[in-house]
Amino acid sequence: MSAAERTQAVDGIRPRRTAGKAVVAVAVLLLLAAAPLVLGAYPVSTMTRILAFAVLVLSVDLLTGVTGLPTLGQAAYFGAGAYTAALVGIHLTSDASVQLLAGLVAGLVTAALTGWVAVRARGVVFLMLTLAIGESVHQVADTWSVVGASNGLAGMPPITLFGGPPLLAAGFVYWWVLAAAVVVFAAVALVVRSPYGRTLRGIRDNEARMRALGYRPALARYGVFCLAGAVAGTGGALWAAHARFVSPGDLGFEVAALALLSVVIGGAGSLWGPCLGAALVLLVRDNLSAAVGGHGPLVLGLVFVAVVFLLPRGVAGLAAGIRRRKEGLS
Amino acid sequence: MVTYLVGALNGLAMGSLLFAIALGLSLVFGMMDVLNLAHGAVYLVGAYVAVALAGDGASPAAFVLAVPAAAGAGAVLGGVLAGLSRATPHHLDQALLTLGVSLVVAELLSVFFGNDVHSVAAPAPVAGSVTVFGESYPVYRLLVIGFGVVLAVGVYALVERSRLGSLIRATVADRGMVSALGVHTGRVLVGVFAAGAGLAAVGGVLAGPILGAAPGLDEKVLLLALVVVVIGGLGSVRGALLGAVLIGQVQALGTTLLPEYASFLVFAAMALVLLLRPAGLLPARTAVHA
Amino acid sequence: MTPLLELRGLTRAYGSLTAVSGVDLSVLPGERHALIGPNGAGKSTLFATVAGTLPATAGTVLFDGADVTALPEAKRARRGLLRTYQHSSVFLGCSVLDNVALAVQRVHRVAHRFDRAARRFRRTEAEALRHLESVGLAGRGADPAAALSHGERRQLEVAMVLAAEPSLVMFDEPTAGMSAAETERFAALVERLPSELTLLIVEHDLDVVFRLADRVTVLHLGQVLASGTAEQIRADDAVRAAYLGSARTDDLFTGGTP
Repeated sequence: MSAAERTQAVDGIRPRRTAGKAVVAVAVLLLLAAAPLVLGAYPVSTMTRILAFAVLVLSVDLLTGVTGLPTLGQAAYFGAGAYTAALVGIHLTSDASVQLLAGLVAGLVTAALTGWVAVRARGVVFLMLTLAIGESVHQVADTWSVVGASNGLAGMPPITLFGGPPLLAAGFVYWWVLAAAVVVFAAVALVVRSPYGRTLRGIRDNEARMRALGYRPALARYGVFCLAGAVAGTGGALWAAHARFVSPGDLGFEVAALALLSVVIGGAGSLWGPCLGAALVLLVRDNLSAAVGGHGPLVLGLVFVAVVFLLPRGVAGLAAGIRRRKEGLS
Repeated sequence: MVTYLVGALNGLAMGSLLFAIALGLSLVFGMMDVLNLAHGAVYLVGAYVAVALAGDGASPAAFVLAVPAAAGAGAVLGGVLAGLSRATPHHLDQALLTLGVSLVVAELLSVFFGNDVHSVAAPAPVAGSVTVFGESYPVYRLLVIGFGVVLAVGVYALVERSRLGSLIRATVADRGMVSALGVHTGRVLVGVFAAGAGLAAVGGVLAGPILGAAPGLDEKVLLLALVVVVIGGLGSVRGALLGAVLIGQVQALGTTLLPEYASFLVFAAMALVLLLRPAGLLPARTAVHA
Repeated sequence: MTPLLELRGLTRAYGSLTAVSGVDLSVLPGERHALIGPNGAGKSTLFATVAGTLPATAGTVLFDGADVTALPEAKRARRGLLRTYQHSSVFLGCSVLDNVALAVQRVHRVAHRFDRAARRFRRTEAEALRHLESVGLAGRGADPAAALSHGERRQLEVAMVLAAEPSLVMFDEPTAGMSAAETERFAALVERLPSELTLLIVEHDLDVVFRLADRVTVLHLGQVLASGTAEQIRADDAVRAAYLGSARTDDLFTGGTP
């Protein structure tokens, strides 16, 4: 087979697979959109929280999976977005889109202000610095009276959209959060497929090589850190829109750790895997926790240990392995 | 002025404790690139050992007994952590493993001891105060400062003057070379991991009368220890000492001057150091010193 | 003609060990220049110092008439000074096409764009594909780079470096670890490169050296022992004595002149 024929063969496979993916994506979207019509208020509320958390997880994946920078600090930017959205909601406007934008900007600005400390490091040192930054922001939220210190920020009125009435029903808030989360997912997917996404993967694989090709990796790393901050801030705003209450616990170590765990469970670098991981992790924390007498962290700790040994490349890696095996057989 | 001097003393006491806690974290990181996220939990184990054995402060003997008990518990935990992290070569996986252990340990502690804040009384003979700078100051904190000085001198002698110490320093500087020379680094690594964890647990006991024991304290302590390590330079004993003293002072000054922003000051100090010296104040890898 | 690359007294020391000591060297545009010398002669260190991977201790590196001694590696690469590595250095987690596209998109100044999917940048994609074809990897574009053999990775690295639009390419022991067939394919590939491209090659395989190089410089103990055409080097007594350590140079050089 000549080179040209092989290229054609590869191209011939691609549209079919893309079409299959599109069908699955639309089906998942329709199912998600239909959820409030068939489910009760509590599961819908749980799903809303999962969606907001999944946006945070996407930001962690952008750093950890795509760029190869494992982070434990994204909860700080998630929290910055949540607090900002709540403050906007309490003092300025109940318009959810304004709150979302404010959350995004807050995440971006906080990441831009603190990120330069972290992006000069790599690997575990990066992990360590992001953890230190995240915990520092957490401590600030825990002591600063402007944001309610350890009591948190309560009294956020229900969100409105485009001047309409307050969205009180869980279903409407869910649809708003779903729509926003889908847009963020699409945006992150675009970044991953763009030339910039390629640059980030290049940095993850071989930073020295990038420099030898004329790249300045530090700049690209800082850029993605700010971008991930904006994504996390958006997730925070969505979280606040649903919970209407923000506490220092929302940007604590545990949230950051769960977000990283979701990425590892789902498979770093894939986008759908970590979203699935996010759902799994929140369900374990909230539901299984009650089943084992409130000792959720105990179960989660064991999950951490189990994941490292049983799922080294996550659910997405497992799926890719199965796909490869099938193709090998056919 | 006197307030500041008393604050500085408090800072020294805090610095002594931070040195004991951060030392193991720094050496384990320097020697095997393992970020031990369970280090705060190990500290908390020590704090609860103090609560269990000497919470009321009635018996000085019980308090003294709590120190080796905590050291033993910490060392065992450190050994388990070392074994787990040697089971996988990936640094992110190692960090996740220690994170998992820290969640399990912290949850078990809150199962046994509840979620209340426990305080630990200083042992009776040193529970009183003496007059320093014209103000009364707890004797116990002076003792903690003394402990810090003794520890610093002892560790300096061990790491800088002994054969084991030179092996540790060499491993920090170039692990591959040490293995290539035929030295079996595995036992040294596990030993340092266990000793560091034991020391952190002892820090938990000694900090008991100052910080008490409560859920969530592990994270706060882990954060401070991380900042100490980052400021001082990874894998550096002298760096850990300098970082601990600095952060102790920043904390003390912060709580005296701007109590609301104390944690922000800690971060600002870290950012400032990283801006001027990205590898920390006394990094271990460029110059092979303790 | 002004040289494209000129080294003046280039020195690189590691502590008290001077690996490269006062090297003067000039490479004219379009020249294929080989750097040979026994192990430990300082070839790799010289390479890294010229590329900017290591800073020079003393001396100057002039590239295209400008002093680049103080420039970091990335800036030298942007001026057209590209290198390959002794052990193939590619992006193993990326597709073969992505590896080359990374070089192209930097030249096309679209490396930080995220408003469109990468494949919508048609010019960049087409250029990357063209470079893959030129090294004979056209059919492997969709494969992960990790799936390539050792020889194929070398070919990929050549495509990457060429895609970065260099004026000087430095190959660091390109045929090390290659089979005879792979070495032959690689030498043929280098021979096909555009003649205006300047090459500096560190190589152990003297067959390859005398096949490809117009000029040869011999490095010994960090210093230039001799420099000249292939014939001059073959005839040089100092090279025989120091580099080959014996008088039986004819045996050693016959491979290059069948």
